[in-house]
Amino acid sequence: MAQCVQSVQELIPDSFVPCVAALCSDEAERLTRLNHLSFAELLKPFSRLTSEVHMRDPNNQLHVIKNLKIAVSNIITQPPQPGAIRKLLNDVVSGSQPAEGLVANVITAGDYDLNISATTPWFESYRETFLQSMPASDHEFLNHYLACMLVTSSSEAEPMEQFSKLSQEQHRIQHNNDYSYPKWFIPNTLKYYVLLHDVSAGDEQRAESIYEEMKQKYGTQGCYLLKINSRTPNRASDEQIPDPWSQYLQKNSIQNQESYEDGPCTITSNKNSDSNLLSLDGLDNEVKDGLPNNFRTHPLQLDPSGDSSNSIDGPDHVKSASSLHETKKANAGIIHGACLTLTDHDRIRQFIQEFTFRGLLPHIEKTIRQLNDQLISRKGLSRSLFSATKKWFSGSKVPEKSINELKNTSGLLYPPEAPELQIRKMADLCFLVQHYDLAYSCYHTAKKDFLNDQAMLYAAGALEMAAVSAFLQPGAPRPYPAHYMDTAIQTYRDICKNMVLAERCVLLSAEILKSQSKYSEAAALLIRLTSEDSDLRSALLLEQAAHCFINMKSPMVRKYAFHMILAGHRFSKAGQKKHALRCYCQAMQVYKGKGWSLAEDHINFTIGRQSYTLRQLDNAVSAFRHILINESKQSAAQQGAFLREYLYVYKNVSQLSPDGPLPQLPLPYINSSATRVFFGHDRRPADGEKQAATHISLDQEYDSESSQQWRELEEHVVAVVNRGVLPSNFHPTEYCLNSYSDNSRFPLTVVEEPITVEVAFRNPLKVPLLLTDLSLLWKFQPKDVSGKENEVKELVKGEPEMIGTEVVSEFLINSEESKVARLKLFPHHIGELHILGVVYNLGTIQGSMTVDGIGALPGCHTGKHSLSMSVRGRQDLEIQGPRLNNTKEEKTSIKYGPDRRLDPIITEEMPLLEVFFIHFPTGLLCGEIRKAYVEFVNVSKCPLTGLKVVSKRPEFFTFGGNTAVLTPLSPSASENCSAYKTVVTDSTSVCTALISSASSVDFGIGIGSQPEVIPVPLPDTVLLPGASVQLPMWLRGPDEEGVHEINFLFYYESVKKQPKIRHRILRHTAVICTSRSLNVRATVCRSNSLEDEEGRGGNMLVFVDVENTNTSEAGVKEFHIVQVSSSSKHWKLQKSVNLSENKDAKLANREKGKFCFKAIRCKEEEVATQSSEKYTFADIIFGNEQIVSSASPCADFFYRSLSSELKKPQAQSSLHTEKQSIEDTMRLIQKCNEVDLNIVVLWKAYVVEDSKQLILEGQHHVVLRTIGKEAFSYPQKQEPPEMELLKFFRPENTTVSSRPSVEQLSNLIRTSLHYPESFSHPFHQKSLCLVPVTLLLSNCSKADVDVIVDLRHKTTSPEALEIHGSFTWLGQTQYKLHLKSQELHSLQLKACFVHTGVYNLGTPRVFAKLSDQVTVFETSQQSSMPALIIINNV
Amino acid sequence: MAVCVAVIAKENYPLYIRSVPTENELKFHYMVHTSLDVVDEKISAMGKALVDQRELYLGLLYPTEDYKVYPHTWQWLRVWGFPAVAGLCTVMPCLGLSQSPRIKSVFPNQLCSYGYVTNSKVKFVMVVDSSNTALRDNEIRSMFRKLHNSYTDVMCNPFYNPGDRIQSRAFDGMVTSMMIQVC
Repeated sequence: MAQCVQSVQELIPDSFVPCVAALCSDEAERLTRLNHLSFAELLKPFSRLTSEVHMRDPNNQLHVIKNLKIAVSNIITQPPQPGAIRKLLNDVVSGSQPAEGLVANVITAGDYDLNISATTPWFESYRETFLQSMPASDHEFLNHYLACMLVTSSSEAEPMEQFSKLSQEQHRIQHNNDYSYPKWFIPNTLKYYVLLHDVSAGDEQRAESIYEEMKQKYGTQGCYLLKINSRTPNRASDEQIPDPWSQYLQKNSIQNQESYEDGPCTITSNKNSDSNLLSLDGLDNEVKDGLPNNFRTHPLQLDPSGDSSNSIDGPDHVKSASSLHETKKANAGIIHGACLTLTDHDRIRQFIQEFTFRGLLPHIEKTIRQLNDQLISRKGLSRSLFSATKKWFSGSKVPEKSINELKNTSGLLYPPEAPELQIRKMADLCFLVQHYDLAYSCYHTAKKDFLNDQAMLYAAGALEMAAVSAFLQPGAPRPYPAHYMDTAIQTYRDICKNMVLAERCVLLSAEILKSQSKYSEAAALLIRLTSEDSDLRSALLLEQAAHCFINMKSPMVRKYAFHMILAGHRFSKAGQKKHALRCYCQAMQVYKGKGWSLAEDHINFTIGRQSYTLRQLDNAVSAFRHILINESKQSAAQQGAFLREYLYVYKNVSQLSPDGPLPQLPLPYINSSATRVFFGHDRRPADGEKQAATHISLDQEYDSESSQQWRELEEHVVAVVNRGVLPSNFHPTEYCLNSYSDNSRFPLTVVEEPITVEVAFRNPLKVPLLLTDLSLLWKFQPKDVSGKENEVKELVKGEPEMIGTEVVSEFLINSEESKVARLKLFPHHIGELHILGVVYNLGTIQGSMTVDGIGALPGCHTGKHSLSMSVRGRQDLEIQGPRLNNTKEEKTSIKYGPDRRLDPIITEEMPLLEVFFIHFPTGLLCGEIRKAYVEFVNVSKCPLTGLKVVSKRPEFFTFGGNTAVLTPLSPSASENCSAYKTVVTDSTSVCTALISSASSVDFGIGIGSQPEVIPVPLPDTVLLPGASVQLPMWLRGPDEEGVHEINFLFYYESVKKQPKIRHRILRHTAVICTSRSLNVRATVCRSNSLEDEEGRGGNMLVFVDVENTNTSEAGVKEFHIVQVSSSSKHWKLQKSVNLSENKDAKLANREKGKFCFKAIRCKEEEVATQSSEKYTFADIIFGNEQIVSSASPCADFFYRSLSSELKKPQAQSSLHTEKQSIEDTMRLIQKCNEVDLNIVVLWKAYVVEDSKQLILEGQHHVVLRTIGKEAFSYPQKQEPPEMELLKFFRPENTTVSSRPSVEQLSNLIRTSLHYPESFSHPFHQKSLCLVPVTLLLSNCSKADVDVIVDLRHKTTSPEALEIHGSFTWLGQTQYKLHLKSQELHSLQLKACFVHTGVYNLGTPRVFAKLSDQVTVFETSQQSSMPALIIINNV
Repeated sequence: MAVCVAVIAKENYPLYIRSVPTENELKFHYMVHTSLDVVDEKISAMGKALVDQRELYLGLLYPTEDYKVYPHTWQWLRVWGFPAVAGLCTVMPCLGLSQSPRIKSVFPNQLCSYGYVTNSKVKFVMVVDSSNTALRDNEIRSMFRKLHNSYTDVMCNPFYNPGDRIQSRAFDGMVTSMMIQVC
């Protein structure tokens, strides 16, 4: 319970004061009306006695009464209607609001710091009004009239007559049965005759004489002459005298029904007013004076619409509140007591004092005495009641019956003069004159009587007052009997069903308990009285209960908050919006930010709604905003309701200030760091066979690996363009800016090219959000084309000729969905653009909500409105840059770099290239050659030049070499043509090779050139605006099976050099799926036969194994090897050795074929004349068409595969730099093993696809480098290296590989024996057979070689000894020879046989060493093959 | 059985709260929140000396009488705008003072909340439908012990961040087993 201005000891006596009726004549009323006051009002400020009064109690003891107050009121004959009282209380509460600047207490409880207003003036005024407006009831007499003042004016014609008339009237009201209402304390009411005299107008003498007459008639004690109106109201302005009425009448003007009783409207509207006092007095019903009549209706009259005054609908209350304000205003203008001087004030005070001393108190004293006597006589008690009651009380207690036992006996009513009531009357009188001891004992006695009689209402009343008087007893002889109160409350409420009395009881009891610091009991009492029938009362009581909780020794903050919410709810039901809002706001302090989101949301929602109805729109908006932006756990229906309310309120706010800046909307969330910016046009969709380059689009996910690849490609091409150096100011071109890209620089974009901003929205709610008219918000600083930048004007939105803005008309985000919106800008002018944010209408979707939990605000609960329910607002895009972490300062503090992705600089025009691929395949066989076309289109208004393509996989494609012009240019013409350039051959020249030659320079593979950067052969190297060029492009399926992503980067420049953007790029990623086709393995070995047709050494045999590894049963039927070509600088294929009958080598699934070719050296002179880069191509044809292998595309792919192959050994060569001499030797030795023969296997595959036969073509390359070593067409899969053990010692610096391997050395010298295969010798004639044998030695290396030939048998194996027929070499058995490079030397040997048989002549051992080397790498040459000779006997 | 189970952190924010008629969730939130006052009171009443031996179970927090005698909790339920309750409340004004035993039988809403505080000041609050009179103090106690064990398991989860909302399926299941479906 909040602190009150009055203490309980003051409050209770002030609540129960002696009541005095006033009955005025018209003339008297008119006199007081001059002061704008009624007679009762006139007395009001002076109704408290300033001095102590004395009174004698029935035991003749002196009793002192302090601060006695009397209540004078005009007689009203109607009991106040409950509805009217309710309305009155409502008005009182709503009229009392917390002061604006009121400093609230800060209460700290646990972790809560709460601002709580300590006082609740609205509750106090409610209580005061409530207690005053209590209707008089039969069971108690506290507010029954004790006396009646009869007032007449001295200006009346017959004042005395008027007095007697009034007296009769009073008598009639009291004793006539027509009037049940004004209750009178005792039958013979004290009548006090007052003569009002207007000093300024009346005749003083006459007044005095009348007064004398009155004294004669009524006695000096019973009458009074009151002189007022000592001045005329006109002079009021010069003299300022205090206005004591203002503090009373502010309230009274609306709450005191007496003050308007004589209003004509009242009378006419009141049907019962025929018998009214005033009409009886014969007064006219017209307005007689200038009395302002503010009310058209009686203030306490229930107007028909007011019936629902405590229902929740607002307009009534607004109306009543406004009318309240009107009256307030009207009243403020009226000066009360304008005709009264300070002397008059004193006179009135004197009058009240005189009345109390002389009239009222003696009357009360007398009455108490009478009642006491009656009681004593009735009870037949000899002793005084006082002692008797004392004895009863202290004696054996009558066991109180519990309330439940008592039957519903409230119906029992005593007649007004029943003896049981006399003691109650006496108790009440004693109570009124503050004689609490006596009052308590009387109440106690009365209580017992009533309980015995089962008169529950009466008993409850007695109990209540007994408790109060026990509490008020001076010196507190007994503790406060709280259980009395409890019983009383329960009886009132449950048995008597009289909530008003119960409420009074609770108010008193709670106040008493509070004064005793029994807060929890008080709270329990207050809570218990809250009920459905009165929202206002419940609200006030709950609020007081909440205050009790917070005031406890250990404050119960949460209970406080909870009850505040309950109170707030009841307030809102009672139409007290401001109070409701205040309660919710106070409760909010407890719930805020503590994780009780559901409760918090509810409170916020209510605050929002209440603020809205009170037109505190800003508060409403922020409260609703709170609900929406926090991760709400509410149900979808609830969220929908929240959202609609929010929108509705927001709309109202924005309507108030239509020209103001657009408000920031809280929904949907924007993940600003996920914002992506894309410069350029959207990618065109595939158009039939035409397929646009993929380039970059917002649809692509960011992939750091690929972006790194692209950057490398771009760096590569830029370096090539700038002759191998990367310019220092080079920055990779970024078309798509996202959170991963480097956004520290202002991005550059080209005028007339759209800027797309992708904004990532997220809807946190469970209801869909509809954004309409979504567009970007920007600021633009145009730059003068002439370069003058003297005036920088800032443009914001609305100039479409500068920047066009795309507007998305509808954008729906479903519940809890994350969705991106792409918004475009079209810059038409160069300058600096700043994208600030997005602007949109936020709305909900129609019909999504059917359940409307809470009665929504007017106008937003019908589906019709929900569509139009959208508000315009903006949200800014603010992107925080990456955290800086470079300098020490940056590391120790938290600093963020700038993020400029939304601030592009728009530069002058640049060419814009579009690339389309025509007939671009998606699937290929490994090695398959396919021809496609590329179309380059310049869509800008600038010519472009310097077009280049860069790719990491140059072997994948070619634009053809310089010979490419021979092929048909248009794609349609080449529909069924072979990709190759073919020449029809006659079938005779099948097995011999056709020779042609081509230079690698023609195919772009020169020394030092970058094979990855391929200039596109544009016809004029310039692509004019709008022009398009179609170029053929051959593709070769990568050798590895699988899906390949091949990145192309097209680089181009403007013809006009631009300072800001030097070049532009276009990306394309081709995805090719390859399937296995052929697997080619080839080996080369030296042919044993040394001389060929030309008689030159160095013939070689090439074995080519071709395996069909294709596994798809359905697709490829068979492969035909149509041609095998060689390509080398020094070698060429000469002919096919194995001439099979079927000319075209067919390979079905899983079949394998073997080819053997003879290769010879090109003629020396040929080699010499040709440039070193000239390759000789030799084609061996199996079909009837020659594919010109030296032309495009066959040669292109060959060169490209070669160049990719070449890269690998180069990397190794610089490994050993030491031991140069050994290195040289090594190289020399190695060299003689090397060949540079490259085999190209060209094939055709017959593929059945959709019951149509297709012929696919392709080629495989095998690079033969080492004699005897198998080479493959596809890269061998490498075994993953095994996990190595971690070595903890430093490896020794071993000199590995300083010696060439035996195998390598053995290839230095080639030997061959020439002898007849069979030799017939007549052994019977000649026992020794001599056979001449020629040993041919050829030096394969380029260096001079010393050779030692040893013919001696060195076979030590036992088997060799057992050979029966061994032979011997005759003659010189050891030769030492010196062979120059490539020299051929023949030794004539003689073998001697003694038997017939088969002999192996391959016994000579050959040792070789490089002649100029000190170190001898002497090794036996190749283990001679068995050279068998048959010796026959003839 | 329980109709609402809540785990409240030391700092008095909810770690876990679940209730079974879900449409009255807000009511239970308010109720549990308000119960914390009583929990605080009880803890402070126990004093510091007895921290070690003190009983974790706090017993009945909210005087059931409040709800038994004057089921006014229902009166404010109308506020919160739950359709089901709103329907219920249209009945209420016709009945006047909700005193008649008829109402009690229609709405068995005598709810009591019980409290339990762990040594680390984590509070368990359980709201129990007391129309189910079979429930004795010992059963409540064992329910709390079960809850405590389950909570300990949650805390032992190395991936659980102390102070976060509890989102454990095992815990959920345990709570569900303690609740009954009130229709």
